[in-house]
Amino acid sequence: MNKDLFSGVALLAIAGTYYLWSTQIADSTLSDEIGAGGLPYVLAIILAILGLLLIGRTLLAMRMQTATAGGDADDRDENARLPRAIGFLLLGAAYVALLPFVGYVIAMAFLIGAVALYEGAPRTWVILAAAVGGGIFYWAIFVKLLGVNQPMGSLFQGLF
Amino acid sequence: MTTFWDIIHLLTETPIVFVAIIGLTWGILGGALPGISASITMALVLPFTYTMDPAQAIALLACVYIGAEYGGSIPAILIRTPGTNSSAATVIDGYELNRQGRAGDALGISLMSGVVGSLFGLAMLALLTEPLSWLALAFTPASYFGLGILGLSVIASMSGGSLIKGLAAATVGLMISTVGTDPISGVTRFTFDIPDLLGGIEPVLVMVGLFALTELMSQSGSLNMTRLNASIRIRLPSLSLMNKLKRSQFIGCLLGLFEGLTPGGGGSIAAFMSYNEARRWSKTPHLFGKGSEEGIAAPETANNTVASTALIPLLSFGIPSSNSTAVLLGGLLMHGLIPGPRLFEQSAQVIDSIYVGSFIAIIAQIGIGIIILPACIWLVNRPRPYRAGFIFALILSGIYTLNNSLFDLGIALGLGLVGYLMRLTGFPVLPMILGVVLGHMVESSYRRSLVLSGGDHMIFLQDPIALGLLSIALIFIVFSLSREIRDARKAKLEEVHS
Repeated sequence: MNKDLFSGVALLAIAGTYYLWSTQIADSTLSDEIGAGGLPYVLAIILAILGLLLIGRTLLAMRMQTATAGGDADDRDENARLPRAIGFLLLGAAYVALLPFVGYVIAMAFLIGAVALYEGAPRTWVILAAAVGGGIFYWAIFVKLLGVNQPMGSLFQGLF
Repeated sequence: MTTFWDIIHLLTETPIVFVAIIGLTWGILGGALPGISASITMALVLPFTYTMDPAQAIALLACVYIGAEYGGSIPAILIRTPGTNSSAATVIDGYELNRQGRAGDALGISLMSGVVGSLFGLAMLALLTEPLSWLALAFTPASYFGLGILGLSVIASMSGGSLIKGLAAATVGLMISTVGTDPISGVTRFTFDIPDLLGGIEPVLVMVGLFALTELMSQSGSLNMTRLNASIRIRLPSLSLMNKLKRSQFIGCLLGLFEGLTPGGGGSIAAFMSYNEARRWSKTPHLFGKGSEEGIAAPETANNTVASTALIPLLSFGIPSSNSTAVLLGGLLMHGLIPGPRLFEQSAQVIDSIYVGSFIAIIAQIGIGIIILPACIWLVNRPRPYRAGFIFALILSGIYTLNNSLFDLGIALGLGLVGYLMRLTGFPVLPMILGVVLGHMVESSYRRSLVLSGGDHMIFLQDPIALGLLSIALIFIVFSLSREIRDARKAKLEEVHS
């Protein structure tokens, strides 16, 4: 499907979902004339109109055969890298999942090491050193210097 | 009346120079860390000022503020992550120059433009605090609405060639800004019984997700393993370049002065508007978005000007225009200093310390910048696998710092995916960010105005400031639209001819 056509349909879906959710906003006796749901209704309608305009414009362009349905080489390259980009993001998700259990330093070391491996760093001791050093470095900055309460990890709760 | 000898006394008899440099350095480091805003950086040193002499304590906080506002541009240029909200506009051309291997140039322009903006802001602070402070008191909810619409008016020219997509992105940004507790009635909206959503979604999460994580995802898997910058040297702009940048810096100064005076204006609006206006008045508008030097100078001058001019309503009436100035207000009150006209008479030494300390900090900014910026360039010039890992780790650590919340990390990762999909489908991210930043102000001030007027929309035309701001916004929109249409026609004609 043409990218713009897909985007238009996605905008309509977002507008519809947002509208449905906005109908569930409760009324309040403190509310003003417009109410908490006023702006969300308007935004849902505007987004739906923009989605329809995008679809209409794309269909018109396709009819006139001016649309670049397949996209250029850069687009295809970027599309092909989507799974890899999502894989990168999943490493972040794994960090978030690990953080409460293993604590900040270990989770951080895991993230730095995993990303380095994922990005093609040679499998040498440097990865381990960078991961451990990075974890300690960030712990020193955020926990010790700035006093941020990063999670210590439930696995090690009794140790500290 | 402060005399020349009072200033000399301050410079020689008190450790004001030391205080200013420490404050500036801390501010730059804090501002450069994603997630550590200027206000957090200031709040971290606030307890240490408790036992200090009031004049030095307030000067320290003011210098931290100046440093943090400047420091935000460093990650914006080097890793596409705005360190503070107000440096979001610097990302556009700053990071583009970095990608072209000119990080040293970009950081040099940002540094000198910051110095120009800060010096101008300081001069305005010293000269115009009393004459211009009335403006802060004259601001009504209708004026705030006008200000918000003025900020949103730049969307038309930031749509990257597709107005429909730009408007759709801005609408989604406004939708994100409605998450949380309704500003008027206190009703919760789109929170799905999740406590972390009660306070809404922080704009900085959206910026980090859309800018930084999207860029990291995009770089992932790229076969290009070359380093970004051959040289780690910082290159201060030459006189001829400074001459070329003077128009955009002038625009930044003017808009920074205006936004600093208006409570709630803040550096973000000033930076985006300056970027937009600098492009409008530039001789090379086609370079904007592709690594334009003016595109860095304008927003950096503006947000650094705001760092000084935002003190005008604070010192005159105790009106904090941002979280950072609220922390400074806390510092003043902690030392028993009540902002207002009498502060200038009763605590003249404190006022002098702010002026002198800020001046020293601004000048020292050049030296400190020259020392620390090459190290920053060196860091982002490491082999890509390690660079990506360390930047990802820094970003996630910074996000957690905002609210100590794992949920925020999930939101940012989700927004990273959204940003990547937007990039794939050709949607511009800047309008979305503007929508998130300004949505709350526009909605709450619009509804408050109507509550005050009993539902009569004429309030927006009867309030002179609101009318002025809305008129300027209308002019901006008309000019931007006509330019967009003209450019689109030109592009179509070129396509037909080729």
